[in-house]
Amino acid sequence: MVEKTVKCPKCGKIINCSGNPGEVLKLTCPVCGTQGKITFEREIKIKDAAVKVTDLRKVYGDLVAVNNISFSVRKGEVFAFLGPNGAGKTTTVEMIESIRKPTAGNIEIFGNNVATSFNEVKERIGILPQEFYSFEKYTIRETLVFFSMLYKKQANIDEIIVAMNLKDKEKMLYKNLSGGLKQRVGVAISLVNDPDIIFLDEPTTGLDPKSRREVWDVIAGLRKKGKTIFLTTHYMEEAEYLADHIAIIHKGNIIAEGSLDELIEEYGEESVLRIKDCKTSDIVDVLKESGFEVVKKGNGDIAVRIPYKEKILDILSIMKRECVDYSTIDIRRSNLEEIFLKLTGASLGGLILES
Amino acid sequence: MRSTGTVFWTLMFPVLLILIFGAIFSGGTDVEFDLVLQDLDDSTFSKEFVSNIKNITGVNVITLNKDKDVADYMLDEDKKVGLIIPEGFESLINEYMQSKYDPNMTFNEEEIPFNLTLIVDPTDQTSSSILKSIIFSVIQQFNINITGGQNIIGITEKSSIGDDFEYIDFFVPGVIGFTIMTSMVYGSIERNTKYRKDGILRKLLTTPVTRAEWIFSKMLFMLFLSFISTFVIIIVGTLVWGLSVEINIFFFVLVISSSFMFTGLGMIIGRFVKEEETADMAGGAITFPMMFLAGTFFPLEQMPEFLQTIAAGLPLYYVNEGFRNAMVNTDFGKALYFTGIVVIFALIFFITGVFVTKWHED
Repeated sequence: MVEKTVKCPKCGKIINCSGNPGEVLKLTCPVCGTQGKITFEREIKIKDAAVKVTDLRKVYGDLVAVNNISFSVRKGEVFAFLGPNGAGKTTTVEMIESIRKPTAGNIEIFGNNVATSFNEVKERIGILPQEFYSFEKYTIRETLVFFSMLYKKQANIDEIIVAMNLKDKEKMLYKNLSGGLKQRVGVAISLVNDPDIIFLDEPTTGLDPKSRREVWDVIAGLRKKGKTIFLTTHYMEEAEYLADHIAIIHKGNIIAEGSLDELIEEYGEESVLRIKDCKTSDIVDVLKESGFEVVKKGNGDIAVRIPYKEKILDILSIMKRECVDYSTIDIRRSNLEEIFLKLTGASLGGLILES
Repeated sequence: MRSTGTVFWTLMFPVLLILIFGAIFSGGTDVEFDLVLQDLDDSTFSKEFVSNIKNITGVNVITLNKDKDVADYMLDEDKKVGLIIPEGFESLINEYMQSKYDPNMTFNEEEIPFNLTLIVDPTDQTSSSILKSIIFSVIQQFNINITGGQNIIGITEKSSIGDDFEYIDFFVPGVIGFTIMTSMVYGSIERNTKYRKDGILRKLLTTPVTRAEWIFSKMLFMLFLSFISTFVIIIVGTLVWGLSVEINIFFFVLVISSSFMFTGLGMIIGRFVKEEETADMAGGAITFPMMFLAGTFFPLEQMPEFLQTIAAGLPLYYVNEGFRNAMVNTDFGKALYFTGIVVIFALIFFITGVFVTKWHED
């Protein structure tokens, strides 16, 4: 069990609570009744932690860009830092990469404190900074060779070129590449030293769907090889597709954290089975009598809430029994976008953590 | 208009131009030209000739004793023009005048014109042209007064450095210094601003390469380019204009140290220039005035004294003088002096440039 102390944002009441690592606890202030949630950070053993961030803070004058956030990244996982533009994603990752100096907090990569021992980890990390443009007059191959020569350990450039689907363009000058190709080259550059952890800051921004999918496949392939990937993105589907663990950041605060299933379980709405173009009008009453929550939409579609997955078979059985005439059915569950909208609309600034 | 740097340098550049050129050319009435004069004849006529020259406003006559060498004196004292009135000046004029009145006396026409020796510093075409015109006009007046128009007095021109050298030989060192300055300063500024904007410096910060290693590697490349451009200037000058300069140890030390010096200057400027658009203007605002004030094209003596004082503090002045004394004058004492100052400037600028160059975002 982990003990934590929080302060009610409305009346200032100090609330003590405890929970298991990774647990999300709903709290109600005993004084004013304000409701909120608190996340107990998942516990990762030191030997399993690739990145450990504790009470990280970045302030620019009156602006708090990153507000005392803490999280850990397990070795071998894809960790997605998800949030809209201006949430603090890039500021956070640049502090981890030692490009920016934190105002406060502690960052460790593979057990090395970034503030004092960053040189020890440089050989083991690969980075794609945001809006990175390489040397214009170099070809793709020359660019990769240049950056690989900065490291003692060098990956096979040919393999990287093939993996990133750059083979037929390797002799093109960087300045003549499309935006999507430049981004892929940027990802390729981050791999030249065969790093153990790769930081990708919005790696698919500006890419067309095909190129984006190609980069996703590369990232998925890297995970299979046991690489740790720290990914920042504002694309919900990217986090859904790739991430083992997601931290949602909003206005400098982590407002939710967990795997996709955990987040949907905790914050999402129940799944819905949609019967499209249903011509059997009394099925609504039949389903309601069977205890299901049903909504009939004006276009003839019917939406049935699924409280838990086993009920899907019951619904299908009823439909078969009643010989329901319909065009198609699908099952839709909550996604990260809905969760984010729900959280940022309902968080009311969140609970303030006090040590 | 939101780019304050661009606005600043856009306005600063023309202001600097008008101030500098105005200062250079507006002080014309106060400019004096030194003329080293040696009267070997020491006669009534020669003294009258000298007196005519001394009476001309703007000419400062420095009289030299007969036992001194005019060319050596000019080199030692950095004087641009000298005039020697040889022995026989008065006797020739007397002979000519007597021949006009005494029909029994013949005058050997082959002895005219009687040439005065004008020694000029080829590096300073401006001063020598002006003084030549003045001396020619005095001679012409003398000729008219004596002969009614026939030129019995003339001028033989010699170089104070040596007859093997021409003006191009003295112009090229300034071109070399100017070329190194512009390529190093602009290259350094543009590289830093562009690399910062493109995120390359951010990326490099996360790699094992250190800032010193990066700067030094870029410096070596720029040094390579300096040598290439310098030798191209010399080769083209030699093939096309018959350039005659000496390549020695001072030349190499000057190329290396001036490259480091101007790269450091570029890094210092680049620290304060955030946008690419501003980079060119900032570089121009620094190099353009220096180019004109450091004696590359105009001799310092032509400028008002306060500008000469400023010029003496400009790095390019010492680079130009170092190259001239090393490659053309082959005055190794002066070459050592100017090279030493350039080396000191190089250490100061380069170390400061490395120190102020930041890779971190904040």
